[in-house]
Amino acid sequence: MLAYILAGLALGSIYAIAAASITITYVSTGILNFAFGSFAFFLARTYYWLNSQHGWPIVPAALMTLLVIAPALGAFLYAVLLRHLRQVPKLIQIVATIGLFVAMPPLALVLYGSETINTAPGLSPQPEHVYHVLGTVVSLDEVIAYSFLAGIVVLGTVLLRFTDIGLRVRGLVSTRALASLSGINPFVISIGVWVIASVLAGLTGVLAAPSVGLTPDGMTGLMAAAFAAVIAARLRSMPVTVVVALLMGVVTDVIQEYLPQTSSLTAAIVQSIPFVVTALAFSYFYVRYGAVRDVAGGGSLDSAIEVQGGARPGLTPRTRPVLVSRSMLSFGTVGSLVVLALIAVLPLVVGGYWLTLVAGGFVYGVIFLSFTLALGEGGFLWLCLISFAGLGAVVAAQFATVAGWPPLLAVAVAAVIVTPVGILLGLLTTRFGELYVALATLTFGLLVETLVFTMNRFLQDGIGVPMPRPGWAIGDRPFAYLALGVFAIIAVFLLNLRRSTTGLALSAVRRSEAASTSVLGLGVVGLRVLVCALAAFVAGLGGGLLAMYSGTALPTEYSTYAGLAWLAVLVTIGVRSVIAPIVAGLCFSVVPGLFQTYLPAGWGNLPTILFGLGAIGLVLNPDGSVTLVARWFETLASRLRPGRPPDIDDTELIIAETAGTGGGATVLASSPQRANS
Amino acid sequence: MTAGLAAPAVPARLAAEGVTVRFGGIVACDNVSLSVPPAAVVGLIGPNGAGKSTLFSVLSGLRRPTRGRVRIDGDDVTRSAPQARVRRGLGRTFQHPEMFDELSVRDHLVVADRLRLGTRRVWADIATGRGFHPRGPGEDDRVDALLESLGLSSIANASVRALPLGLMRLVELGRALAAEPSVLLLDEPSSGLDTAESAEVVAVLRHVVAARGISILLVEHDVELVMALCEYIYVLDFGVLIASGAPGQIRADPAVRAAYLGTESERLDEAARSGATELSEERA
Repeated sequence: MLAYILAGLALGSIYAIAAASITITYVSTGILNFAFGSFAFFLARTYYWLNSQHGWPIVPAALMTLLVIAPALGAFLYAVLLRHLRQVPKLIQIVATIGLFVAMPPLALVLYGSETINTAPGLSPQPEHVYHVLGTVVSLDEVIAYSFLAGIVVLGTVLLRFTDIGLRVRGLVSTRALASLSGINPFVISIGVWVIASVLAGLTGVLAAPSVGLTPDGMTGLMAAAFAAVIAARLRSMPVTVVVALLMGVVTDVIQEYLPQTSSLTAAIVQSIPFVVTALAFSYFYVRYGAVRDVAGGGSLDSAIEVQGGARPGLTPRTRPVLVSRSMLSFGTVGSLVVLALIAVLPLVVGGYWLTLVAGGFVYGVIFLSFTLALGEGGFLWLCLISFAGLGAVVAAQFATVAGWPPLLAVAVAAVIVTPVGILLGLLTTRFGELYVALATLTFGLLVETLVFTMNRFLQDGIGVPMPRPGWAIGDRPFAYLALGVFAIIAVFLLNLRRSTTGLALSAVRRSEAASTSVLGLGVVGLRVLVCALAAFVAGLGGGLLAMYSGTALPTEYSTYAGLAWLAVLVTIGVRSVIAPIVAGLCFSVVPGLFQTYLPAGWGNLPTILFGLGAIGLVLNPDGSVTLVARWFETLASRLRPGRPPDIDDTELIIAETAGTGGGATVLASSPQRANS
Repeated sequence: MTAGLAAPAVPARLAAEGVTVRFGGIVACDNVSLSVPPAAVVGLIGPNGAGKSTLFSVLSGLRRPTRGRVRIDGDDVTRSAPQARVRRGLGRTFQHPEMFDELSVRDHLVVADRLRLGTRRVWADIATGRGFHPRGPGEDDRVDALLESLGLSSIANASVRALPLGLMRLVELGRALAAEPSVLLLDEPSSGLDTAESAEVVAVLRHVVAARGISILLVEHDVELVMALCEYIYVLDFGVLIASGAPGQIRADPAVRAAYLGTESERLDEAARSGATELSEERA
């Protein structure tokens, strides 16, 4: 038993260091680092490159990684990106860090090479030294993990409690606004915090690599465990975070003593522990507080100047009055129809390899519509839609191949079966804040990946279950039109939803729950669950089509990490536009093909980096590329039109007489702040 | 009702009975009772932090009281959800306008008008393809008339995102009126409005009370407007109801004057000097 406890404490120490890194950045700078797993992977890969590939001894390699590269990475990313996130709404903040999460692993592969790494070294020399303590064995790696955690706790406590820097950090945490007014430079403190967080992430990656593997997926699992501890502490309490992380480590190892060693059930139970902790924490918050909302930090002045969480990706808070057209033939509608027409002829003008990629792009377009529904219409960030696609795929393959159903019927029924799972998840997360919805759905995705997608019934020793196409769509061209047809039907449905009373009600709920319920009499839960159900159904349908496209339902293609890359692609193109999903699908499918065909082999990871950077770019352009381009054309058209009205952007104030105001004047301002002042 | 304070004699459309709201050790509302008779404008005034907005949240169902009851037309709705109270005829505006930023001015009124006729369309429209149908003439007429009465016709198709605060308040009022409530809670409707816009709001409110028989409970810092518009006024201070009565009584009440020491007290004097009727005539 003691051996399990000691091993568990080592694992818990790694979790605790990771959780400390995430907590310190959230508490100090207001940013929850969804890119933590990629930070850890990137820095652990750097250490491997120095130590294993270039033969640096352990200490210099570790010092270079943790005391030079990690601080530089943290400082650089804070200076160029992360500092801008504080002033953007929470959803954009989350998506931007997810962009970083997506971009960093392929960047590491470009820099350090993409060979498969089977065993990663830790910080102890090989062969590893072991110690005998109370009749049991403790490895040097375990001792190093305990020592680092103890050192971090002691050093952190001394630094925060007894030094001038600690006082400044605590001042910043209490109220950023008043700390600034007192002469504390938030930029300097924040950059320091990100430097420390980056060092801790690197340390976590190096310590964990020998056990979880030096892969993005392994580090994502580590991040999930750290998030569980962070969630249990409501994102704020460092002592609670560390204690929960240690307990999780101990439970993870101790429980194995009582479970059969070779059973797949054992692996499933062990891997589920972070998710159980998360579920228990959410349940407790639900019972204790009636909702799972983000706890506002800072003081009253911070609250007064805080960015309101209204703006969402695709919903830029514009600085000028916008005339909203409801005409059937608006500029956007005509533009969309032209783009769709061009897309529709693609399968006729390309062939072979490119036709295959185009067909794949159409299928991804269907899946991406589920993101448009959830994020664009519902206003909530589900990070597990790929899991619904995966569930749709594996269930459809069971019906089609095992039960012998017609493939299209199998896909449709699978999507229907997946829908109640979406409804259930929607019901559970209805009272969650934006941050917790993202965390809960990320956890759910990883849980499905761990428990369901590893079942051999679906995995079939890594080759998956065959998923046939319908007889008339065996070829890529008819299959492309099948996918395009499905896309068109869902897109028309989405347009109808958006233009109907349902769409108006959803817009209302998305922007103000209080006004929706107490002025319009809307039931918020019902509407949210409706969107969840639709998003889950569409994701399941798309997943089935993707399996059909690949010829196999392979669960490993639906990892949560891949889902975040999908999200990054869609938000880069646009999350509110109805044609954006198919454009994003084509980009996701065709751009890597272009790179592989026309550029050197080492550039193969570049598209993923670009997609990640696109998601980061959401900070600058929340509407996405499609809307941006449409706006350019709209502006160009209005400039070319004779007798165009004066450009509102160029005008400080426009005084417009409004009819029926009894002589009152209405001021339309170029800036809401100016107008309100 | 706090002991010693007289209540309006007419049956209440909306009533609070002994409402207490605690936030930990802080008592935001302490045993507050008030009532709003049919087709009447009742004022609720008090200094900042008096508990007015908290009481509004309790009345509209966004917050459960620690103790006490809320009644609409005599029925206990204390445990009813906000949407159930809306269906019973309750409407409201907010101190900080709660706008649906993606919708146009017109759409704010359209959605309220449609949902007044039943929430079934929220679900039915998905199946019936109503998003592609033209809007009904009845709906357009009602919405246009309301836009016209609020002076919003010229910006009907503008997004509310960049509207100044005063216009947002008018849109919010229009949205509340489009739902055709029987009792309307207005939280500082004149805040951010200039004199002309305030007068416009007063005129609209007088019209809807007269034409539709709506009852209004008005929270307002502009004491002159309250004195001009309200038939009966309640005064809250530190969560406690310290006075209630007709505007003349409130002006003369020493407890109210003590609570309004300083600028507000001077404004009470000013309002008393100029007289409510005269003020309303000036504005009209």
